[in-house]
Amino acid sequence: MDAASEVEQENGFAGKRGAAKIQERLQKRHQARTDDSDRRKETKENHSVAEEKLEYFSSTFNTERASIEQLLSSCSGAERGVVSQRLEEATAKTAQLKKFLNDSVLFLTQYELRQAQAALQKLQTSLAETREEALPKKKFAFRARSKAADKVASSASDSPDGATAAGTVKVDGAAASEQCGFSNIDSEFLTKTSEEIQNRDVLLTHLTNCKVRLFGSPSTLHLKHIDSCEILCGPVSRSVFVDHCRNSTLAFPCQQLRTHNTTDTQVYLHVTSRAIIEDCHGVSFAPFSWSYPNLEEDFNVSGLDRGRNNWSQVDDFNWLAAGTPSPNWSVITEITFCGNALKASMTI
Amino acid sequence: MGLLTILKKMKQKEREMRLLMLGLDNAGKTTILKKFNGEDVSTISPTLGFNIKTLEHKGFKLNIWDVGGQKSLRSYWRNYFESTDGLVWVVDSADRLRLEDCRKELSALLLEERLAGATLLVFANKQDLPGALSKEAIREALVLDEIKSHHWCIIGCSAVSGENLLAGVDWLLDDIAARIFTAD
Ligand SMILES: Nc1nc2c(ncn2[C@@H]2O[C@H](COP(=O)(O)OP(=O)(O)OP(=O)(O)O)[C@@H](O)[C@H]2O)c(=O)[nH]1
Ligand SMILES: [Mg+2]
Repeated sequence: MDAASEVEQENGFAGKRGAAKIQERLQKRHQARTDDSDRRKETKENHSVAEEKLEYFSSTFNTERASIEQLLSSCSGAERGVVSQRLEEATAKTAQLKKFLNDSVLFLTQYELRQAQAALQKLQTSLAETREEALPKKKFAFRARSKAADKVASSASDSPDGATAAGTVKVDGAAASEQCGFSNIDSEFLTKTSEEIQNRDVLLTHLTNCKVRLFGSPSTLHLKHIDSCEILCGPVSRSVFVDHCRNSTLAFPCQQLRTHNTTDTQVYLHVTSRAIIEDCHGVSFAPFSWSYPNLEEDFNVSGLDRGRNNWSQVDDFNWLAAGTPSPNWSVITEITFCGNALKASMTI
Repeated sequence: MGLLTILKKMKQKEREMRLLMLGLDNAGKTTILKKFNGEDVSTISPTLGFNIKTLEHKGFKLNIWDVGGQKSLRSYWRNYFESTDGLVWVVDSADRLRLEDCRKELSALLLEERLAGATLLVFANKQDLPGALSKEAIREALVLDEIKSHHWCIIGCSAVSGENLLAGVDWLLDDIAARIFTAD
């Protein structure tokens, strides 16, 4: 009801009944004002919760970062056994810090996120450098090595073949850097940043129970032997290829999606040409709904057309009968995904 | 019809070539075809069936057949073998996990009687991807050096950038032309 008609009414209802009406209205207004100020208070409280979270994030992040830097700098000049122990600790702490950052993504501003990502990147670089300097031979065996192997290696620390070893490491390093992705991992939270995957071919194989977040725009994405995972990826400029995937949730924008031997899997999809399935059943589709701070930018990088999403036009290569819909795929009707997925990523 | 016209007609027919493009699904066949023809490649869908394109190149009239490579379509490939002059086998060089599949499918094709006379061009596609194997690695993985039954050549290329597509097609045309049109 607008103000003018209210005034008219007031004039029209002079007298006792009018006075009561005015009284009532005043009462209502008072109530509304109180509600309003309550609401403002609440927003303010929410705001300060966010601020607190941010404060907590910054101080924790910085403390952890400092302690990792400390660990790294204490490596120079230390004996080999000690160094390898410290490096191991620094590696674990860096991984934790990365996870902490991922878990905090929701309440960080883009600026804070970038700062933290840059800091993390720097840490990873200096970790790699320290490792190369101190333990050239063991660069790539490092993570998988047991404590016992450590001792053997440290007692052999004065072997004179440091130079040749470093040479081999470089070759390995080049090979490793070409292959981008994750494989043979169970029950972990895995992430890649934009710098790590941009314009690359990313491969995820033999993952079970993992949550994967790929923040960026790869050129292509291959998923093979995926079980009970949740895999969310930024805009893929060309095709996504899925093979032997079960019981999982996937989300990405892409140019083409090819899905093979996949069962009981939900796909939250933005596809600019077509999605196809072959030898699949129980695959369901809904529009892509995940979001993260740099999504817009990554969409631009990918060159994908945002206004063109054929997520519900799926060709089943095993069901080319015209007229009858394929029983192997369906459309997801509820639209609860976005919130759920993000909550899940917060609580892992 | 005068003799000259008939001769001209025969000549025209002679300058026609039939090329067949095959390879696993997702290899980039349709993208190569469209890029070569100067069309937009961002709207290409996985091929359900086949595409045929007729184009002029270097004075030849090329009929290029691009057949879908999904598993369920491969049994239909044989419908397209007849009178093929050139076979273009397209490989996704970054798809290491299916190289063995790729090798098997190719070696089965090379046993086909109806393809016996065809020249083989292997495109090691997607060389723009950082994880792509080199054309030498693909040559080894597909054991190309064992092929004695066909003239063959492998060329690294990228359908999205267009790099080397022309070089590949030119080699193929030269080889076919040398084989067919100068035979008599
Ligand atoms: N990065 C990169 N991607 C490519 C290249 N060539 C093709 N692609 C992409 O690979 C995907 C598959 O390409 P298509 O041309 O549809 O493959 P196809 O061989 O015709 O596949 P089918 O029709 O299923 O047999 C598409 O997303 C293309 O954009 C390339 O040279 N580099
Ligand atoms: Mg195609």
